Amino acid sequence: METLRQLLVSREISELSRVTHLLDEPEQLAAAVGDVLPTAVARATHAQLGEALAPAVERAVQRSIQKSPRTLTDILYPVFLPAIRKSIGEKIDQTFQSLNETLRHIFTWHGLKWRFEAWRTGASFSEVVLKHSLIYRVEHAFLINRNSGLLIAHVAADNATSEDPQLISSMLSAIQDFVKDSFNEREQSGLDTIRFGDLRLWSEVGPFATLVSVIRGNPPEELHEIVRDVLLRIHEECSQALVEFDGDSSQLAGVEAQLRTCVEQKQEESNEGFPWLVAAVALLFLILAGGWFFLSWQSGQRWQAYVSRWQAYVSRLEAQPGIIVAEQQARDGQFYIAGLRDPLAADPQSLLSGTQVDPARVHSQWQFYQSLQPEFVLKRLKASLAPPDSVRLSIDNERIVAEGEAPDTWIDRARAAARQLSAGGPEFDISKVRDVSPEVLEAKRWQAYVSRLEAQPGIIVAQQKIRDGRFYIAGLRDPLADDPQSLLSGTQVDPARVHSQWQFYQSLEPEFVLKRLTASLYPPDTVRLSIVNNRIIAEGEAPDTWIDRARAAARQLSAGGPEFDISKVRDVSPEARAAEHWQYYVSRLEAQPGIVVAQQSTRGGHFYISGLRDPLAADPQALLSGTEVDPARVHSQWQFYQSLDPKFVVKRLTASLTPPKSVRLSIIQGRIVVVGEAPAAWIDRAQAAAEQLSADGVVLDVSQLRELDLAELNHLRESIQTTDIFFSSGKVVPGPEQTPVLDRLADQIKEFAQNARKSGVTARFMLTGHSDTTGRETANASISAARAETVRALLNKRGVAPELLLVRGAGTFEPAVPENSQAGSSTNRRVSVTVNLD
Amino acid sequence: MLQKKICMLGGFSVGKTSLVRRFVKSIFSETYLTTVGVKIDKKSVALPDKTVDLILWDLAGEDDIGSFRVSHVRGATGLVLVVDGTRAATLTAALTLRERVEAEFGAMPFVLLFNKSDLADRWVIPDREIDELRQRGWQVYLTSALSGEHVDDAFLKLASMVTK
Repeated sequence: METLRQLLVSREISELSRVTHLLDEPEQLAAAVGDVLPTAVARATHAQLGEALAPAVERAVQRSIQKSPRTLTDILYPVFLPAIRKSIGEKIDQTFQSLNETLRHIFTWHGLKWRFEAWRTGASFSEVVLKHSLIYRVEHAFLINRNSGLLIAHVAADNATSEDPQLISSMLSAIQDFVKDSFNEREQSGLDTIRFGDLRLWSEVGPFATLVSVIRGNPPEELHEIVRDVLLRIHEECSQALVEFDGDSSQLAGVEAQLRTCVEQKQEESNEGFPWLVAAVALLFLILAGGWFFLSWQSGQRWQAYVSRWQAYVSRLEAQPGIIVAEQQARDGQFYIAGLRDPLAADPQSLLSGTQVDPARVHSQWQFYQSLQPEFVLKRLKASLAPPDSVRLSIDNERIVAEGEAPDTWIDRARAAARQLSAGGPEFDISKVRDVSPEVLEAKRWQAYVSRLEAQPGIIVAQQKIRDGRFYIAGLRDPLADDPQSLLSGTQVDPARVHSQWQFYQSLEPEFVLKRLTASLYPPDTVRLSIVNNRIIAEGEAPDTWIDRARAAARQLSAGGPEFDISKVRDVSPEARAAEHWQYYVSRLEAQPGIVVAQQSTRGGHFYISGLRDPLAADPQALLSGTEVDPARVHSQWQFYQSLDPKFVVKRLTASLTPPKSVRLSIIQGRIVVVGEAPAAWIDRAQAAAEQLSADGVVLDVSQLRELDLAELNHLRESIQTTDIFFSSGKVVPGPEQTPVLDRLADQIKEFAQNARKSGVTARFMLTGHSDTTGRETANASISAARAETVRALLNKRGVAPELLLVRGAGTFEPAVPENSQAGSSTNRRVSVTVNLD
Repeated sequence: MLQKKICMLGGFSVGKTSLVRRFVKSIFSETYLTTVGVKIDKKSVALPDKTVDLILWDLAGEDDIGSFRVSHVRGATGLVLVVDGTRAATLTAALTLRERVEAEFGAMPFVLLFNKSDLADRWVIPDREIDELRQRGWQVYLTSALSGEHVDDAFLKLASMVTK
């Protein structure tokens, strides 16, 4: 059995005993486990192994530190040193920043405000300074994969804009690499800060991701810590996803919330924290104190103003006539005044108004008195005498003067008042007041009327009187004198009470004589009658017959009348008249355009005249008619010349250019303007004329001429020119079949000629005869000419004017078609028509 | 948001910058290339099931491979190798660059673009060579920055490759 066992399992037994021995021997077991331990650890699940080892490792580290901290310090030294260095650097930065800001604000108004705030909140002054002076805002936060530079997440503050964040994050990491490579920087941390003006980029580097914050403004150093905390939290929460990040950011959606806390960091310029309550209390105190000061100052001012106004009032009173200020004073806000016043003087109370002195504070004491100043005496006189409207009282050199008209009763009262005026008062002078009782007035008015009548020429007042309120007047009047009745108006004399008795007579006063002469002699318009020094003088021209009548009238004038002097009237005899007529004719010629009078004279009853005249000007002979100059006594000598007066130029142009009807020549401001339509040839001629005229200084404007539209004519011309009259061989008279062709041709030629004439051109028609080549050349030539002549005669017979038709024979030289057939010859035996315009 | 970092590699003056200029979104000027040595552009590619943003790192073209800043490629998931079809040397340069990148960061998907396909008369790369590269399973495109020929195809292919 044992042997069998030995045979079957002896290898296993020895193996088993070796293992048992191995397990029992700690030394050997340790060696064996030591062999496999690294592999086992490598193969174990990381999590479980980590958990299993953690307590042992912790204890081991603990023990190691207890035993000798030096070892672990040495180990960790390369790790901590950069971190500590960075931390200390930041702290120093922070201190400097704080120091800088503190120094900057220590003495400013803000400084005082912030000191108060520091006292109120218990914070240090530098903290408060930093809090207020560091205005910043985190605008963007980028979380960037450290390996690939790909953007994991991006958060922007409100209103902050940037280009594509994906591109920015990659570029940022590229720049990090660039800096690192360029300067052989091996350190794990990346680029700390990039600063561009107001903008800063802070990057905080973590194991797997970099957090870049873009900050506008002046951030405090503590912001680094906040950003670092955020990055740390992201690494804690999402470490697995960060490690495995392969560009798909959906796994890391949660980190945006963390980034948001970064972006929310800002310190903005605001008044938050301002001690409103304290400010309000201080303000209220200031207002109250200011108000009290103001009021007391104002009341002082106001009293000063009152006193000066009071003084103004007093001096106003003193200047017032009839008021005498005896004493006045201002005391305790009240004003006292005492004195004398005339009852007629201005009321001191009413004078207060407008002075801004409070009437309630004024205490007045006035005694009445009668002022002897002329103004007051005048006022009293006016009140006691009640003068009528026609009397005016005034002060003249301290005297009171009454002027005007008054009834005698008032004058008596005024005289009494003048006597009663006290000794020291002004004098009252009533000597200039006229006594006006109604009767006196009426008598005066009547006298005025009578003297008005007496002054009137042709009226002689013989007698006049007033009795029982009625007026009687008698005398002589010339019928040509003014009516005494009408003279009453405006005199205020009642016509009903006037009784007149007038005898007519002929006044010898020159005016009346003149009137009568004018009525009886009827002087012609050329005679003027006037009165000079009581003599009547006639001046001017008159025929001898009138002069004779005037002379008779002068003799008839009565002895006592004025003299009538007709010596200044010239006798207008026929000779003188003829000379006058001649002068009129000469001036008429001189006014005539195109006529220049060089010389003229009158000699022995004959008239001589010489000068220049344009052939187109009016005929001097014809102008004689109607001038009453006897043509037989006129001797004229005229040289022809060409006037450059535009009117004549137009006439000449019309004659030489024969403008078509469609053209109009007119003179506009001295220039000759040609308007309308004309054939090109005519326009050319007009232009040539314009050039010639410009040498003489005459402007001929042809710019408004348009070329005549000859389209219709052209059409007709075409039709005429394509018409041929055909002949039989050897014949010079066309066959009867050509009659309708000739009829139509004649009509067309007539129509064309007429239309052309309307347009101002002359049309001519060339009839060319042709022959075929049969026969001798000379015979053919004469046949062709004969054919043209025949057609001309036939057309003439049909009413075409012969001078429009020209004739020639072309023989065989101008065949219509090459002559190689029978049809060709018959086509060439013809008369063709060409139209020419000129 | 799905993004992938893609590096564009190629010799000097092969037309990488021209390729991206017309077909991608760019906010940085080309002076970045000469200053920082890299210019970042973005190309959004719509795949059937998603949209992927290719963040293109256009690395300054260099003929001297030694000065190539390989650190820029870290974290990239794909490459665009650009060759100038009129200069044979640029193919070698592109392949060398790729080898360096693979040595540093391991193999990654890529597309190979033979650019300037519009300059047919100056073309020097034989078709046989291109076929050979295709037979290796490489994605090869003949592109023209001028006409835009195949550029979008190449980016689309690369996008589907890097999101697999």
